[in-house]
Amino acid sequence: MTERFAPGDRVRVLTTVDGGNPRTPYYLRGQVGVVAELHGVIVNPLDHHFPYPPLYSVAFRVEELAGPPGPDLVIADLHDEWLEPAR
Amino acid sequence: MSEEHAHPHIKDFEGHVDAVASDLEYFRRKRIEARVLHYLRRGVITWTDLFRAHEALDWPEPSPPQPDLELRVRALEDSLDALILAGAVAGTALSTHTVAIDDTRRERGDYHPEFRLASRTYEGDLESRIGLLETAVAETGHLVAALTRALLDRGEVTQEALDENRQRLSGLGYHNGARIVARAWVDSEFKRRLIETGREAVRELDIPPGRLGKLGVAENTDDTHNIVVCTLCSCYPHDLLGNPPWWYRTDEYKTRIVEDPRSTIRDMFGLEIGAERKVVVHDSTSDVRWMVLPRRPEGTEGMTENQLAELVTAESLVGSEELKARRP
Repeated sequence: MTERFAPGDRVRVLTTVDGGNPRTPYYLRGQVGVVAELHGVIVNPLDHHFPYPPLYSVAFRVEELAGPPGPDLVIADLHDEWLEPAR
Repeated sequence: MSEEHAHPHIKDFEGHVDAVASDLEYFRRKRIEARVLHYLRRGVITWTDLFRAHEALDWPEPSPPQPDLELRVRALEDSLDALILAGAVAGTALSTHTVAIDDTRRERGDYHPEFRLASRTYEGDLESRIGLLETAVAETGHLVAALTRALLDRGEVTQEALDENRQRLSGLGYHNGARIVARAWVDSEFKRRLIETGREAVRELDIPPGRLGKLGVAENTDDTHNIVVCTLCSCYPHDLLGNPPWWYRTDEYKTRIVEDPRSTIRDMFGLEIGAERKVVVHDSTSDVRWMVLPRRPEGTEGMTENQLAELVTAESLVGSEELKARRP
């Protein structure tokens, strides 16, 4: 599986994904962030039965998540199937 | 996948199952149930405490057995190991209550055969023996969980004491993290490899790197302060660094840190992050387990790697503390 996104790309987190990794935080669903890091497909048999699509660290501005204004970020690790391109 | 290479294939299933049965009986009778009875006799807890605790706990549905017998035996062995550890964690947390097991009593002469807890046997063909043992391990696990809960509810132990106990007993702990951090401070090439390759680099320090996904290392700098959370559960590089601090699993922390990181760090940990630095919260979702590489404190120029390691705390590896130079 190849990565659809590159560092710097703006992505939106989908609200639901059938069969997607359930460990996708609810407070980020529907939010827009910027891809910060590519991790590739991570083989993690102790947590999952099969590997999920490629993983990205995506950075969200706290102020855009309805937090206080400022430079602070939340970076979350999200799988490819949960992301779509955003403007 | 790596698991398969870690163990040779099991050839003698009966031998493995016999060993599980005898270990389970030993720990159940001489450690776990002996302790429960001791606490009941001494009035540390009551039967009602145990029943209440058992009711309050959330019991997961048992997963259907593995069709592959070898995997099933392995899973049984792993769950027995987890049971023995959990029993030891709860059972040794109360240092004021030393429980004398049968063998000690026999040695010191106050043993009476009537005290003996009956042995159970697990008979039948291989598959039914495995089934009986799976049930027995799970049921004894319920007892240990209820005991632990009851001791907590009674205020006999704190979650912190249990966590510390678990780290000590499982031979893990933030000490691994302290060594990693100290090496990264003194060796910039190691630091680069650590940030790029994570677990691979940790092997250089003879630390078992663990197998839980990828290790992410977030480096604190003059521009950035990092802090780690797992808002969905409690993902952490447990297999490498032991348990995170007790508050890591609290809903208060998980909720507040992503809503307003800077104020939460100040209110919960008394740590003021300067306006010139950005706060970055890493929300782990199991495949990357994050640790923070804290800043090296000022005034530590002359210190050795081992002295530096002693400055590192469990809190600093999560990002809730900034390190200071203490006198070596």
